[in-house]
Amino acid sequence: MTSSNGTRLLSRNFALPGQANLDTALKRGAYEMLKRALKMKPEEVTTVVKASGLRGHGGAGFSAGMKWGFVPKDVFPRYVCVNADESEPGTCKDRLILEYDPHLLIEGALICAWAVQAERIYIYVRGEYFYPTRIVQRAIDEARAKGFVGENILGSGWSCHVHLGTGAGQYICGEETGLIESLEGKKGWPRLKPPFYPAAVGLWGKPTIVNNVETLAFVPRIIEIGAEKFLSYGTPKAGGPTLFSLSGSVNRPGVYELPTGVPLKTLIYDCGGGIKDGRRLKAVIPGGSSSHILTAEECENLKMDFESVVAAGSMLGSAAVMVIDETVSIPRLMVWMTRFYAHESCGQCTPCREGTGWLLRLATRILEGRGRRRDLDDLYELAENIDGKTICALGQAVAWPTKSYITKFRHEFEALIQE
Amino acid sequence: MPHLEINGKPVEVPAGTNLIEAARRLNIEIPHYCYHPGLAVVGSCRMCQVEVELNGRKSIVVGCNTAAADGMKVFNNTEAIHRIRSGVLEFYLQHHPLDCPICDDAGECDLQNYYLLHGLHDSRVELTEKHHKHKVHDVGPTVVLDSERCVLCSRCARFCREIAGVDELGIFEHGGDSELLNVPGRLLENDYAGNVVDLCPVGALTDKDFRFRRRVWYLKRTPSVCTGCSRGCNIYVDWETSRSYKNPQRRIQRLKPRYNRGVNEWWICDRGRYGYHAVDAENRLTAPRTKSDGESEATVDGVLDRAAEKIKAALAKHGPKSVAVIASSSSSNEDLFLLKRLFADELKVHSLDVTLSGEPKGKEDEILMKADVSPNRRGAVEIGVQPWGGGGVAGDDIVASALDGDYEVLIVVHHDLTRMLSQKERNRLGQNCDYILYLGTHENGMCHLADDVIPIAMWAERDATYTNFQGRVQRTWRPFEPRGEALCEWRVWQELGKRLGHSLPAESVAGVFDSIGTVVASFKGLTWEGLPANGIMLTGVSEPAYRKVQSSHPLPAY
Ligand SMILES: Cc1cc2nc3c(=O)[nH]c(=O)nc-3n(C[C@H](O)[C@H](O)[C@H](O)COP(=O)(O)O)c2cc1C
Ligand code: SF4
Ligand code: SF4
Ligand code: SF4
Repeated sequence: MTSSNGTRLLSRNFALPGQANLDTALKRGAYEMLKRALKMKPEEVTTVVKASGLRGHGGAGFSAGMKWGFVPKDVFPRYVCVNADESEPGTCKDRLILEYDPHLLIEGALICAWAVQAERIYIYVRGEYFYPTRIVQRAIDEARAKGFVGENILGSGWSCHVHLGTGAGQYICGEETGLIESLEGKKGWPRLKPPFYPAAVGLWGKPTIVNNVETLAFVPRIIEIGAEKFLSYGTPKAGGPTLFSLSGSVNRPGVYELPTGVPLKTLIYDCGGGIKDGRRLKAVIPGGSSSHILTAEECENLKMDFESVVAAGSMLGSAAVMVIDETVSIPRLMVWMTRFYAHESCGQCTPCREGTGWLLRLATRILEGRGRRRDLDDLYELAENIDGKTICALGQAVAWPTKSYITKFRHEFEALIQE
Repeated sequence: MPHLEINGKPVEVPAGTNLIEAARRLNIEIPHYCYHPGLAVVGSCRMCQVEVELNGRKSIVVGCNTAAADGMKVFNNTEAIHRIRSGVLEFYLQHHPLDCPICDDAGECDLQNYYLLHGLHDSRVELTEKHHKHKVHDVGPTVVLDSERCVLCSRCARFCREIAGVDELGIFEHGGDSELLNVPGRLLENDYAGNVVDLCPVGALTDKDFRFRRRVWYLKRTPSVCTGCSRGCNIYVDWETSRSYKNPQRRIQRLKPRYNRGVNEWWICDRGRYGYHAVDAENRLTAPRTKSDGESEATVDGVLDRAAEKIKAALAKHGPKSVAVIASSSSSNEDLFLLKRLFADELKVHSLDVTLSGEPKGKEDEILMKADVSPNRRGAVEIGVQPWGGGGVAGDDIVASALDGDYEVLIVVHHDLTRMLSQKERNRLGQNCDYILYLGTHENGMCHLADDVIPIAMWAERDATYTNFQGRVQRTWRPFEPRGEALCEWRVWQELGKRLGHSLPAESVAGVFDSIGTVVASFKGLTWEGLPANGIMLTGVSEPAYRKVQSSHPLPAY
């Protein structure tokens, strides 16, 4: 939950009772920003979102307004897909939005659909999210019954339908083209790029905006407070706050809404209450399991915005901050991480299909004390042979952390190698 | 038309050509497993990565999904590319079984080929670490799968869906457990199933008809044309006769499709693929036969002499009306041309046709197969082997008249009339015709009904041309000689002509073909020497429209 020193722009109603019910949400202003947006021209909405500096919160941090602008002229129908597949280890913030303020998400998605003139919205929820799925479905039904969704929304003459789809338990269906394939009823195999942007060629070959839940949930707030004010909650290059999923060795793990660019220390010590049992900080994974690990020294003055984290040698990703204390074994972390990716590789392209399992085998061997001296170099080289050679970014999502664990904590691995 | 450079060599290609195809034009191979020009691009094997430089920007791309662009420089042989491919190959080999010594694909396996080119690694995998999957797994009546050898290129599955139009194979599970298998409840049993074996870049899918028969390096390859139906798909005959102790009866080891954009693209149907067994079947006719008294052993010359006498006598006594010829649209252009010259032009026989309503018909579809299972009906029509003049009699009527005893001499080529007649009618035909001569390839009812039988060479035993249903003249090349005493049909007419005092043109098949070009209007200008390997359209007949290869999406601009 958000802490007292958090920002509470997106999450301001999370703690209030009944927010998932439309009647209650309406009393707190739900769908007012949709009304306001419908009075604007669609392009105006995109311009405002662009000016707000809103960046994607799904992982890549791409400018939302820019993405909306990629929709080719005169190609219809168009779709909006809400990426609620949230499966990146460490990430748990979309779930809160789905559960505590589903109407905020629906409103944001509708404003996006208005901006790009889409006729249908698909909310794709992670398969294991049974409870959030029920809440979102009820919210859609309520909104439809009240005329916020469906034909001739609020008498504007514009119609937009909202559908809910669920995954079947595969991380890869969170990759936007895997998501699209899955929605089309196929195996969730990410598509070959180019074409790079679903905004041009997406669902059923039509222009499709895929945005993360959090990204879209910020949109009504941008309409509410204006681009300039929104921008001030972040950095000049990344407007607005971010929902940080804080986990690992902290006293108060949880989701915290803070200005983008907040110092990592504020997050860990002020919000998270510091490291558990007074242990020393060893490392931080700043942006979900796919990001490079950062040592305590590298975290010293780190600010949590896209550019700063990249400059430090990692990425902000989904802003899932995992805190690692001195007692945690990095080789064990490696086994945990590679097991996840070996299990989640869709198997379509060779380096990832074959390489992830190989990494896991080597990492396990080392952890179990059966490692050989060359295994470390092999691990690095195999990661290198996956990195950038694959169809989708899952390849680098396993290669990057692998390489960073070995480079930065080589001694821990070497200590386990007997021979 | 973009101009580009590959490995420093300039080439110009049509817009939309991908880099693999552009390189092919320079005889440069960009390695690949999943890409196939006849199937949708999926880009999953990651072998075709090349370095590309355009407008000063360098990058590494997959060749299958990158369109050639003007001014582009492509590098297929840099150290970086070699390293990438070596890495990808090693991933393929991680769990690959050590099967080469017993694998049918050895020698034509792309895993072996690329390993020699880009691999040659020392193994980093313990044998005990290798995953095991289905081996010797029946996927259908004609094909066996070895999952451990599969490189998961999905070509076979895409072929079934995109070309054959059925979902019979698919890739199931995910990650390292991915496995190509039958779609639950389905067998690989479409009419084109054999093509998946050709498509499979490794020895994962093998043909039950060829498994463990020959090492591929012993095979010799001769281009030919399938005679299974009137499409005339282009094929290769893979044959071997030197190691005959293995199987003396089987000279052809397998047929493989030969690319022809306008006829069969990369494919052939299973009817054609396995039809070659007829060539060396046990019931092949290899010697002449006769019912004539006093001859202990028939000879071709003896049969020809007697046939000539019978024809001469019939003509002298009752004129051309007493002779009938039921020719065949399975015969080549040359056969039919000499037949027409002899019987229609010289002997004035009007009872002459190739078509019978009782002829066997095959399955027809929108892909390749034609219901007309004879390869040369169009040729017969063009050459004019049909009822002619005022008194022309068509095929079915010839049979009816023969039953009524209207002919002294009946000559039948290939058709097995006995399958179209009742036992009573068969007896009547034998009694009512003074002399029946049959030219055929296999033992059948006609061999017993006819007075004399001449064994005829089959398509793989001769050079010949056939005109397919589109009007495309295509030739075959002879890998080996006719079995036994079988001879080419056109030689029969030439020999018979000599005995009847008519010299027919030419001593060679080339000569016969060239004279067709001087006589038959639609063959004007065609010469044996001038026949391209992929055939040539008859004069005045235009090429059919090519089918567009399906693609999941058009090739994106770079
Ligand atoms: C392997 C993989 C998994 C992903 N999983 C998710 C996910 O669960 N949720 C999500 O929003 N984005 C995920 N993404 C990112 C999406 O592909 C896409 O960039 C994002 O949905 C775009 O939305 P945004 O611009 O609002 O961030 C994933 C990407 C990859 C490569
Ligand atoms: S990189 Fe991995 S997850 Fe992505 S397409 Fe390839 S095999 Fe599938
Ligand atoms: S598929 Fe190729 S590499 Fe594999 S066993 Fe057969 S011949 Fe050898
Ligand atoms: S069986 Fe052969 S064609 Fe089919 S996916 Fe495997 S390697 Fe490719």
